[in-house]
Parts: sequence; C-alpha cells; structure tokens
Amino acid sequence: MTAATQAPPAPTVVDRVRSVRVASWATAALLVVAVVAAIALQPNLLTPYGVASTFATFLPLVLVAVAQAIVVIGGGLDLSAGAIVALSSVVAVQVMRGEDGLAAVGLAAAVGTGVACGMLNGLVVSRLRLQPLIATFASASIFSGLALLVLPTPGGTVPAILTGTFRQAIATVPMSVLLVVAVALGWLVLRRTRVLRHIRATGGDPAAAYASLVPVQTSQFASYVLSGAISGLAGLAVLGNAGSGDPFIGGDLALGSVAAVVVGGIALRGGIGSPIGAIAGAIILALSSTILFSIGLPTSWRALAAGVVVILALALSALGAPRRRR
Amino acid sequence: MRTRLLSVAALAATALVATGCSTVSNEPAASGDGDGAGPFTIGISNGFVGSEYRTQMISDIEDAASSYQDEGLLEDLVLENADTDVNGQIQQVRNLINAGVDAIIADPNSGSALDQVFQEATDQGILVFAIDQAVTADSVINVGIDQAEWAATSAEWLAEQVGEGGQIVAVNGISGHPANEARYGAAQEVFDEAGVEVLTTADGGWDQATGQQQMGNLLATYPEIDGVWTQDGMALGVLQAVVAAGREDEIVVTGEARNGFLQLWNEQSDDFESIGVTNPPGTGATALHLAMAMLQGAEIDESQLVDGNTLVLALEEPVTNENLDAVWAETEGEGESYVLDSILSADDVQQFLVQD
Repeated sequence: MTAATQAPPAPTVVDRVRSVRVASWATAALLVVAVVAAIALQPNLLTPYGVASTFATFLPLVLVAVAQAIVVIGGGLDLSAGAIVALSSVVAVQVMRGEDGLAAVGLAAAVGTGVACGMLNGLVVSRLRLQPLIATFASASIFSGLALLVLPTPGGTVPAILTGTFRQAIATVPMSVLLVVAVALGWLVLRRTRVLRHIRATGGDPAAAYASLVPVQTSQFASYVLSGAISGLAGLAVLGNAGSGDPFIGGDLALGSVAAVVVGGIALRGGIGSPIGAIAGAIILALSSTILFSIGLPTSWRALAAGVVVILALALSALGAPRRRR
Repeated sequence: MRTRLLSVAALAATALVATGCSTVSNEPAASGDGDGAGPFTIGISNGFVGSEYRTQMISDIEDAASSYQDEGLLEDLVLENADTDVNGQIQQVRNLINAGVDAIIADPNSGSALDQVFQEATDQGILVFAIDQAVTADSVINVGIDQAEWAATSAEWLAEQVGEGGQIVAVNGISGHPANEARYGAAQEVFDEAGVEVLTTADGGWDQATGQQQMGNLLATYPEIDGVWTQDGMALGVLQAVVAAGREDEIVVTGEARNGFLQLWNEQSDDFESIGVTNPPGTGATALHLAMAMLQGAEIDESQLVDGNTLVLALEEPVTNENLDAVWAETEGEGESYVLDSILSADDVQQFLVQD
C-alpha cells in the first residue's frame, strides 16, 4: 500500500518543484529590486537601528502572510486575520498585566486565542460550507467586537522582557532578523507534516483529494486553526512593536497579507505556492512603502502609487506563476 | 537540497544565539546634536487622512514650515501622511527616524501603542511632539487642547438648555478611541451632575454622513428626546437629520466650529440655538514653532507641563448665538470645509519656553 501511494505522485512532485521555482524567480527578483532600491534610497537602513527596526516592522505582516498562505494553499481565504491579531494581542496584554513573569502565559494566551478564532473560522467554512470570503469577513467583525470588549480603550503595558528582548541583538544580529528567519525555518519544518500535505492536496483539487482518502473537511479546518495560531503569534509581534495594547491594531494586516500571498506567487485558487514566497511578498510590500516614502512622493499620490506597485508586483509574479495542469 | 542549505543556516543561527551575547541595538544620538544651528529636518506622521480636520492640520503645518524654509532654518519637512493603523504608523515613525529627522510631530492613532517607537526616536536624540491626542510616553511632549474640557464646555451648555430631568442622546465618534473616551467621559460627568438623562449613545465615526444616518435612527427610536450631544465632524450631519425631521425647534443640538455647520446654523430662525467649541487643527503648526525653537536651543518650561509632558493649549471662545454673526462674517470666505482654527505664532510659543 505504501509503495502504491508513493509511486504515482513522484513525477507531479518534480513538476511542482520545477513550477514553484518559476514563480519564485519572479518573487525573488522583485525582492532583490525592492531591497536594492530601499537601501540605495535610504542608506540609513543599513545602520544597526535601521536593520533592527525594519525587520521589527516586517515581523507582524510576515507572520500574518504565512498564516494567510496556509489558508490560501488550502483553498480558502481568511479576511479575519487582522482581527485575530488584534484580539490575540489585547487578550495577551490583559493576561500579562505588564509582569515579566506572566510573559509565557501571555504567549499561550495569544496563541490560544488565535487557535480559538481559527477553530470558529474552520468550523464555519468546513462544516457549514459557507464561502470563506464572506464567512471570514463576518467573523472579522466578531473578533474586532470581542477585542473592544476585552480592552475597551487602548492601554495596558507589555512586560519589559518582551519589548526589551524584541529590541535586542544576539551577536550583533538583531532579534527581529532572527525572528523573521525563525518563521521561515518554522515553515520548512511544518511543511513536511502530513497535515500540511493534506491541506495542499485539498486546496489543489478537493474532489481528487477526497478520492485519495484525504480528509478534506478536517484539512480545511486544520488550515484555519494553524493560521489562527500563527496570527496569534503576530499579535505578540505587534505587542513587541507597540509596547501596549490597542483594540484597533492590525486593521491593515488582513488585506496586506492577501496581497503578500499573491505577490509571493501563491495562487488564490489554492494548492500552489509556498509561505516562503509569502514572506518575500510581505517584505516586498513593506519595503515598497519605505521606497515610496524615500523618493519623496507627495503624500496625496502615495496611496495611488502603493496600489500601482501592488498591481505591478501581482502582474510580475503572475508572469512567472505556473499554470496548473489538469 | 535547498532544505539542507537552510538547515545549515538554522544551525548557524542557533550557534550565533548560543555564543553571542545580547546587546541593545538602539544606538543613541546618530544625527541630532541637540542645540545646533540647523538647518533641520522635521518629520510629520499622520495616520488618518480624508477628514477636513486632518487636511487643514497638514496644510497649517506646511504653511508654518514655509517661513522657516525661506529663512534656511528648515531644510526639509518630511510628510508621512496616509490612512493606516497603529502598526502602519509605527512604520511611518521608523521611516522618519531612518530618514534622519531632527524632530517628529505626530498625530498618534493611539494614546499608548506608539510609546515604544517614540521611545526609539527620543533615544536617538530626536524631539517628538504628539498633537491632537496625548500619548503616555514621558519623553514625548504632548501639545493640544484638553479634550475633556472641550467636551465639558458643550455638555454644560446643553445641560443648561434641556434642564434637570431632560432626556438626550449622544452621537459619539468611535467607541474605544482615546479622544472619544476622554470627551464622552467628561460629558457624561456633566450630565450626571446636572441630572440630565442620556437615553443611549451611537457611534457616528466622526463622519457627517454616518452621523446623519445615526441621528435619523435615533429620532425614530427615541421620539421624546429634548437634545442631542455630539462631537465635531458629525454635528452638521446630526443637525441635518433633525432639520429633515422638522424638529429643530424642539431638539437642542450641540454644534461644531466648522463652516458647514455655521452656515446651516445661520439659515435657521433666530430661536434656534447651538454651540460650537473650537478644536483647532492648527495645533500641529503650533507644535512646529515649538519644535523649531527647541531645535535652536530653547528649553521648554517644565513648570507649565501638566502630567510631566503635556502642554495644554487654552480653548478659544466658543461660537454661540451671541457671536455667531461676527464669527461667520470672518470665516464665510474660507470655504465650506473650513475648520475654525487657532495657531500660536513663533512669538506666542515663547511663553512655554524657559526665558533667559
């Protein structure tokens, strides 16, 4: 039985690796252009503070982009990711009460909140079979509403150990850089798990996956739960940056993460791409805002230009994106 | 193959973590050298655009900056002005820090969640001013009116109009927004003391259209109300809803010191009364004058700071039926979206500085 299931996928896996590479090329090229342009325009980005602060700024979007990528690869969409970040962060702030000793509890609370939100999304999408777009749009309102109940006004203190660690360097490598690298490595470990292979199969072709005994509903459910957990971590990253709670934080993250996912060469129809691409996509988007700022574009043009950049990035990454063979 | 490379990288990273010692990456004082001679660069961070208030705030700042630019004291005014959340505003401020500004004037999206990034700026010797909304970071100088006093002024007026036992509704900005909480908290206190009953509150999002819609709903649900307390940015919409229902003679509406509202107020009969308390967008320009003085070596007079870091600007005389005609004659020409303003000049801000 193992031999039988192993043998047929071999060529498609090769295909897939090759096709993913093509998409990665476009994303990688964009990433290089963005990095070079940002540094050329803003040489201060290379100072220790510049590097540390830039990566600290990347981290929340990078995490939410990975969370979004997992759901999108599984054939879904999560518009509530930003609201999950907000809710997890305010829950963590309330739980930690600014005490260093409770930092670990805060971590558990943030991830736990994310998991709970993900479970709700997962149930609604996989069991009730509602459209993910509308379902998560609605659940976003629920989570934002809960965030307001948990922390009615901005405030609370994040333990110094969290904000301090977030701003430290280990052997001159800023913590924020290490954390972004850790997210990428974390994915490389995760992707080998059976759950993620099932999620990918479900997103690629649910009917074929079902026929191949992949637990389709469970995989969809799992993709939202996993995504929720990672969004919970993003909530902590936001707290590290902010040092205090705010129920309105993270509003831009949901759509930003969808853009990052697509720029990263992940097909919105599911099954194709890697969160590594989404990480690159997140960095490209974050840097593009720095670039637009650095070239001194009048602010009234900034929003327009940001939109054009996203469209260009999407078009470029689509050029290299693989076509799915049926 | 690639995975193997990455696991090698992972090993290398863990090795670094194991061997390296931790140091804080913030390096103090790279550019700002305190009381220098300039020319200086000032950065502006604003996370909410599209309201007439914020638009006027930015143009006031640009006007104030141009005279310093002509003198050669101000090299550049760098604007980070875009709709964003706290997370995005953190990036705005970091962009400004990396651009090497000497001072930052921010209209913060949050009263506390930008403290860390402001601290990053002040650690590097950058002066940071928060306008419109006070922040809790000690190293930041808050410049603005007292939002509680601002709200209490119109609340007291309304309480007087409807009298003890009067029933009102409130159309607020955004629940949970610090400015909204400070304002409504103060208004509530006034109403409690005066024995005025607030039947319900609704969120108008500081938006005229939303305010109008919410007021329409409230009028249908609470037909017996005597008055409505609302904030600037929505008062015109609220009054329009009341006028549309033909009840402007029975329901007292607090107003706003903005031209659109003053115009509608002017069109009403002489029996119609309202109040407009100025919330000046020019605070940012005032902060710019303060920043330029401090960059050139002046020191702020600590004894005038409230709570250690807040400079409270005095409220202007509110617009009431008594002075409406005079005020309207003055501001009519400024256009419908004009917000009644007050900017302290470079000479005016001297009162907050240590005199030698």
